[in-house]
Amino acid sequence: MAERIRRGAGIFAIASVCGVASGMFGIGGGVLLVPLLVLLFAFSQHRAQGTSLVALIPPTGLLALIAYSKQGFVSWKTGLLLIPGLFVGGIAGGIIAKKIKPRPMSQVFAGILLALGAWQALSAWWR
Amino acid sequence: MTFIILLLGLSVGVLVGLLGIGGGVVLVPALVYLLHLDQHLAQGTSLFILLPPIGLGALHEYWKQGQVDLNAGILCALGMLFGAYAGSLIALPLPSTNLKGMFGCFLILAGILLWRKAQLEGRAVSKAGETARG
Repeated sequence: MAERIRRGAGIFAIASVCGVASGMFGIGGGVLLVPLLVLLFAFSQHRAQGTSLVALIPPTGLLALIAYSKQGFVSWKTGLLLIPGLFVGGIAGGIIAKKIKPRPMSQVFAGILLALGAWQALSAWWR
Repeated sequence: MTFIILLLGLSVGVLVGLLGIGGGVVLVPALVYLLHLDQHLAQGTSLFILLPPIGLGALHEYWKQGQVDLNAGILCALGMLFGAYAGSLIALPLPSTNLKGMFGCFLILAGILLWRKAQLEGRAVSKAGETARG
């Protein structure tokens, strides 16, 4: 029983940290949550992804969105235009994913993230 | 301009479905570099886009296979709700330049985590054999 409570508290704490990153950077948070569930709580890869999806169904970013919109930091028009493409594209991507090996794809994507991150950090702080 | 935005949504959507990754990590830099939005504006817009439950169909697939820990998921949702609010309180007063740089560092971290995850998957696949995949 005590073990279960400790595990639950740990998961809640880690999710809160992922939430801070989510609100700070305007992202979903699954990118951090999935690997952390696997590495820290011994979830299998599939179970971590399924569990992270539960967390992403309710509008967890709502409080953060309200805070951003109060300061005028939301472009509603751009957002509305992006949603239909994302939806259709997501379905297409899911179909393509079944036909391609996921591992090299993930590694290419990881490489792109590293390059993009370095570019953003450099362009912000070195000039 | 409208056409470019529609096209951008489509291409980011393909990436999301392909990799099972939240669109925000890709969306924010795309909004900053392709549509020239300010860093804060890009993040706020990304939060708006992520509001609808886009993962619902995927969740159903995982649920059918019993790969969902509901209690842990609910705890995560609660933690993220309050955490995200705290994160927005940290981000909003920051100058856009610093926030952009910090976002860059975050992308590097996400890239490293994704690389590690791909390595773990590779090991699991070679252990279980090709038949266990899918």
